[in-house]
Amino acid sequence: MQLGFLVDLHLCMGCKGCEIACKVENEVPLSTWRLRVKYVDVGTFPETKRTFTPLRCNHCENAPCERICPVSALHYIDNGIVNIDKERCIGCAGCVMACPYGAIYIDPQTNTADKCTYCAHRIASSMMPACVVACPVEANIFGDLDDATSNISKYIQQNQSNIQVRKPEKGTNPHHYYVNGGNVALNPLASFRPEGHDLFGKITSNMPIGGH
Amino acid sequence: MAAHEVLAATNAVVTLDVGLPGIVWPWLVTVNMWAKSIGTGVIFMLFLLLRMHPDSASKLRLHTAVVAFAFINIFLLFTLADLHQPFRMWHIFFHPHWTSAITIGSFMASAFLGLLTLLVFLAWKKNDETYDKVLLWVTILAIPVTLYTAALMAQCTARELWQMPTESAQMILAALLSGSAAMILVGGDKLSYEAKKTLGVVLGLSALMAFIIYMSEYIFGPMKAEEVAAVIEYIKGDGEWTVAFWLGQWITYILPMALVLLSRSSKSESILKLAAILALVGLAIVKHVWLVIPQLLPMS
Repeated sequence: MQLGFLVDLHLCMGCKGCEIACKVENEVPLSTWRLRVKYVDVGTFPETKRTFTPLRCNHCENAPCERICPVSALHYIDNGIVNIDKERCIGCAGCVMACPYGAIYIDPQTNTADKCTYCAHRIASSMMPACVVACPVEANIFGDLDDATSNISKYIQQNQSNIQVRKPEKGTNPHHYYVNGGNVALNPLASFRPEGHDLFGKITSNMPIGGH
Repeated sequence: MAAHEVLAATNAVVTLDVGLPGIVWPWLVTVNMWAKSIGTGVIFMLFLLLRMHPDSASKLRLHTAVVAFAFINIFLLFTLADLHQPFRMWHIFFHPHWTSAITIGSFMASAFLGLLTLLVFLAWKKNDETYDKVLLWVTILAIPVTLYTAALMAQCTARELWQMPTESAQMILAALLSGSAAMILVGGDKLSYEAKKTLGVVLGLSALMAFIIYMSEYIFGPMKAEEVAAVIEYIKGDGEWTVAFWLGQWITYILPMALVLLSRSSKSESILKLAAILALVGLAIVKHVWLVIPQLLPMS
């Protein structure tokens, strides 16, 4: 079994339902996110459009976080998920530095690394991840990549020319795919990040980073 | 008019993204690398001097072992301080994951500290014969100990700036630079002028080679990878780390090289000491800039 995720970016409307569901399900502390939706605006007014990209751990086949973790706190489980044992983590932040997707953070409450686990605890009880359940347009598709009859496998087969992963040049072989994603949505260097330009005002951080 | 309203249609602006983690490895890691360079570097230099200038170097066995012991302890202390869960440090030894440079480095550094403790004891007992035998193994172990941070940086897939074997070369050169500088200062009147000249040559050449590598990365790195190009922007033009980068290059490499040459022509030990002090101070700046700038790049 190899579990994987696929997001159809044509369907995603940036409602952030997945983000909130993830926060509630996994009790993710303030200022930290296991899953977040990035907004990128393209074009010149009035010819503008906004893209929405849900970003979470890619559960890579060749995961740099698993390799760099000195105590195997980050480890593979049988269904292909890169899971984390917070009781074992020493908080060296090597995984945060290694992940090319910025998917790992230091939990300010436990002082350990944390990230999306594809809701491994729910999957163990035969339930779907919280973000999949919450999505109103079924943009999040989750399932077994090794099973040709699963929804995700069928979706990949039907959209073969339009499947992308983030940063394929890193050689991590992510098990998280995007359909209808452009360079702007998936490449962080393809867009500007002006200071003080966040929607919903200034986002503060209380993460214990940098000289904690 | 807001920035996003005047951008061309081909351009894009991130209007919401909350996943910028800031500096994850802070100055504590800089001190870690700096202290480790000195701790291993003085061992390299003592090994060299005992072969080239045995008469004067033999008086420095205890001094060198104590300096190395002290700086390796500083290195380990700051490594521990950087952990968010320092009291779980023992997990590395009881749940080791051997693909991680952190694990291998921890075991090697612990063994290195054990051997340094033995060296201090042997020097105190004035058992020079055994000391020199142990020193050979300590010198050999000092090579991977000083290199392991380069391996760790290379394992950081997200930070394209930190490449192997470039980082390995920089770690070894940092150890030679800081080791020779520290020995010039520690040596005092015990080292002959000829021995100090040898240390000056090591200091000057390691500064030259490290400077060449940094300039090569500065100029040619951006031609190879867009992430490197984006990171190098932080130390170019009006980049927020430009001043610190060039301050580091001047203090650590350019001025010490010039001062080493000047000290040879004027036969001045004071100028050589000034070069050594500058190199030691500057190395911390150089290391810090190179540590921080890749962390400024958004990963999402």
